[in-house]
Amino acid sequence: MDFSKNKALRIVLLTLRVVLGAIFVYAGYVKLKDPWQLFAAGVASYDLLPMGAVEVVARTLPWFEVAVGVVLITGFFFRTSSTIITGLLAVFFTLIVRAYMQGKEINCGCFGGNEPISPLTMLRDGSMLAGAIFLCVMAYRSRRTPA
Amino acid sequence: MKFVALALAALATGFAAGPDVDKGKTMGNPSAPITLELYSDFMCPHCKHLHEDILPAIVADFVKNGKAYLVFREFPLNIPQHVYSRPAANYATAAARIGKYQQVCDALFKAQQQWGMTGKVWETVATALTPEEQKKVQALASDPSVLAEVQKDYDLGMRSQINQTPTVIVTYKLKQQPWSFWDDYNLFKGYLDGLLKK
Repeated sequence: MDFSKNKALRIVLLTLRVVLGAIFVYAGYVKLKDPWQLFAAGVASYDLLPMGAVEVVARTLPWFEVAVGVVLITGFFFRTSSTIITGLLAVFFTLIVRAYMQGKEINCGCFGGNEPISPLTMLRDGSMLAGAIFLCVMAYRSRRTPA
Repeated sequence: MKFVALALAALATGFAAGPDVDKGKTMGNPSAPITLELYSDFMCPHCKHLHEDILPAIVADFVKNGKAYLVFREFPLNIPQHVYSRPAANYATAAARIGKYQQVCDALFKAQQQWGMTGKVWETVATALTPEEQKKVQALASDPSVLAEVQKDYDLGMRSQINQTPTVIVTYKLKQQPWSFWDDYNLFKGYLDGLLKK
């Protein structure tokens, strides 16, 4: 019984790791294939950062997303990668909810393109955040190598 | 091979600007590598900012030198605060039929606050026209083909998932991308320059 529960948990963890990692790799890739200004416009529309900082974020964040996504998929540095992804998702989710509450009709900029912030966007990002938190908790609870 | 390339180029232009663009609502060379479709609403303050402060730079940097083809699209927002947007769009589209679109746009945006409060749209439009032109535009403004053209622009915008004005749909090599951030023109300029270097 314990054996099958443990196995199921490992499968869940592996699936979550691969899915979240793949989502991050995809999110970074779709931003990188377009000129950086497109993502910069998305970041700037949140009205949080000065233009200089917007440019730095727009030029570096997509590479970071790809890198941390790949590391999460491989399972190396599991605690570190799951913590970073949880932190990033917490920031993204907070900003999306804040913009929605402020009534800003802006695009979320999550996967490039034209995707206005909506309850569906918040549900998606919230689910990803919940998954990342679960991964993170499991990473710190277990001393063994990840699934 | 050449035929295929020509067919693709023709398809790209058609895809970008729509099959029956009103020539009076365009600027530049239709075969320019980039097509910019500007969706705006005459009662929207950000559209006024774009029209008066940013559009001249876009025209100078990309339209006049043949890098971009500019198409003006009407997107009168269906909200109670913008009750005069649709009549303004109808008048502007009617003015385009006699080659006076830009002049009417300038007049409408310049006096946006006044007619937005009083509802005197026609009085504002008339300032940009001669008495002869006024008669023509007034007749055309209720013409079903003009009303249909405005509605077609609006429907195109809805299909392109436009959720704010002003938005420019940038079409380059068959790929369409909306742009609606206008606080920093250099960002938009850099984006278009980057596309042209691809």
